[in-house]
Parts: sequence; C-alpha cells; structure tokens
Amino acid sequence: MTYFEYKDCPVTIREDIKQAHRQYWDKLAAPGCWWTGIERAAIAQEVRNANTCQYCADRKQSLSPYQFEGQHHSSGVLGKIALDAVHRITTDQARITQDYVNNNTNSGLSNEAYVELAGVVVNVFSIDEFNRALGLDLEPLPEPVPGEPSHYRPAQAVSGTGFVPMIPADGATGAESDLWSKERTGNVLRALSLVPDALREWLEVFAAQYLPIAGMTNMFKHEDRAINRMQMELVASRVSALNQCFY
Amino acid sequence: MLRASALTNKTQIDLAGVNGDESAAGTGVEFGTQLMKFAESVATRDESALKAARDELLQVAGEAVLVDAAGVAANFQRMVRIADSMGIPVDDMEEGMGKQVREELNLERFPSAHNSLSMG
Repeated sequence: MTYFEYKDCPVTIREDIKQAHRQYWDKLAAPGCWWTGIERAAIAQEVRNANTCQYCADRKQSLSPYQFEGQHHSSGVLGKIALDAVHRITTDQARITQDYVNNNTNSGLSNEAYVELAGVVVNVFSIDEFNRALGLDLEPLPEPVPGEPSHYRPAQAVSGTGFVPMIPADGATGAESDLWSKERTGNVLRALSLVPDALREWLEVFAAQYLPIAGMTNMFKHEDRAINRMQMELVASRVSALNQCFY
Repeated sequence: MLRASALTNKTQIDLAGVNGDESAAGTGVEFGTQLMKFAESVATRDESALKAARDELLQVAGEAVLVDAAGVAANFQRMVRIADSMGIPVDDMEEGMGKQVREELNLERFPSAHNSLSMG
C-alpha cells in the first residue's frame, strides 16, 4: 500500500511533504531501538486514542494530573506506564515533571524507551495534525514489520540538561556526526538525542513541514515555500503560545 | 523568530498577534490575520473554527499558502510536546531579544517555564 497519496485532497500537497510522511510511516512500522514495530504502531494508535480519551480530557481540567484515578481509552497493547506516557505527552505535556519521568523509570520505562516513545508520539501527532488542519481523514497506520529492537544507546549521552540524558553539544561525533554540524545545536535538537534515530526521524519531518535545519538562519522567503519567514513564524508563535510553550 | 525575521526584513510587526490580537497579526505580515486565525484554530482543536479559518485562508491566499501554513502549524503542535516531555530549558535565558520577547508576551505564566527558570 502506498501511503499519503492525498488523492482525494482538494488542494495540492507539496511532494516533499508527501515523501517525508511516507518515509516516516515506513520507519514507524519497523523495529526501533527500544520498541518493536508492533509496539511502535501501538504507540501511534494510542496517540489517536488520547485525543478521544475522556480520562485525559477530565485530567487536563483538574488542578493536578494526580487528582483522581481513571482508565485511558486504550487499544490494550501497551503496558500501563507506557500508555499513560503516550496520553500525557499528547494531551497534557505541560505538567510532565522530572519526578514523573523518574517514577516511570522506576516502574520499568527506561529513559531510552521513553525518548523513543516520545519521538513516535510527536511525529505521529504532527502528521495527523497536518491532515486535520486541511480537513482530511487520518492516514491508516502502517502494518508493523517483525523484528527486534537494536538497543543502541550513544555512549556520549549525559544527564544534566532536561529530564533524560542527551548528547552534549560537542558530542555529535562518530556514528552521531550527522545529527548536527560541529557544536551548532540547541536543546530542542538535543532533546531526543538519547535515541539518535528518533532525532533523525524528527528532523526529516521537520524539514518538510517547516524548514530544513540548514535553512533556519534564512529569515527571508525560501524558494520552495509559498509563505515567507514572517508568515511562518506568526503561525509558529500563535500555535506555541496557545500550547503554553515557554521554550 | 518572528521578531528576528521582521528585523531582517526591516518590517514593522506587532507581537500582540502572537497572543491573538487580530489587527496586530495583520501588521506587516501579509495574510497575517487569516494565518493567525488558522493557527489558532489548529491549536485549540476547534473543528468548526478550523473549517472557517481554512476556508478563509484558502480564499484570500490560495492553496499553496494554506498547505504551507498547515505544515508549520502541525510542526509546532509537536514542538511544545518535545520540549515539555523532555524538560529542556531555553538555551540562553539572558540572550537579549529572547528575554525581551518573553517579558513582552509574559511567557513566564506558562507552567513549563519552570524547566528554564529553575536552571537560573
């Protein structure tokens, strides 16, 4: 099956967006570093479930996310801790704390697995949001590919910046030398770097939906975009403000 | 980035558009009001407002603008989720323009500001 053909779409979708979404769907279906293809597809399904989860909706309105117990709307593949992490990142991310991440680690969701899970959540959520923004149906999720996770962890990842270890600014070397050039990075780029493939997948979608990292310093209109940089940043800023994004 | 791009383009903008002021959003930014309303309806997940904003943006600016705006909005719907779920602080809290914009827009009211302010 070819995904993201956008055949019934009333507007023309840029080819690089179609391509990026297709490539991501292929990677979503395959085993990752810490999750199988079946589990990655299950994470994706839970992103969609979270958007119609009554417990998430009620919890979002509560003074504290720990105010009351409840049951997530779930497909039943993921364990309780992973399930809650998917729903929290999707619907109530602003109240995630170091303690929440530490408690998850103590309950068996390793930092590495959490980072990969978050990578899947944000990519699937973002691709779904693109379709929703244009009034389109969501793309069917891909068929999982059998296989085992690689358990690859970059040796240079260290704790100290956020809730999980990350590759330091000067640590994009060796197998990770493609992640950013020299020390030109930022915390948002480093955020998923404990699982370098999660960052690579994030960057590919980022380049198509927004801009390639290499073009970030160009504050004028990019040749292959219909909106100029000010228009882009107005959209980005309004979305971020409504999401209460301090970063 | 909005202010940086406006300065580079030598264009007067009004940052109040970021907080939802329609006329401010249109200051210096072509289709700014329609883009702001579209972004707002994506982020708030208000489907009827989204349809209206999408139709209006399509009508005044065309389909290429609509598709690019959808891409940017979708991308920034996930940026906050990465930043908050990983707990990353702002890279340089003392950098002049960023500090000024955060103060102007009163961003310290957001819960996730704690991830940056606690580093200071």
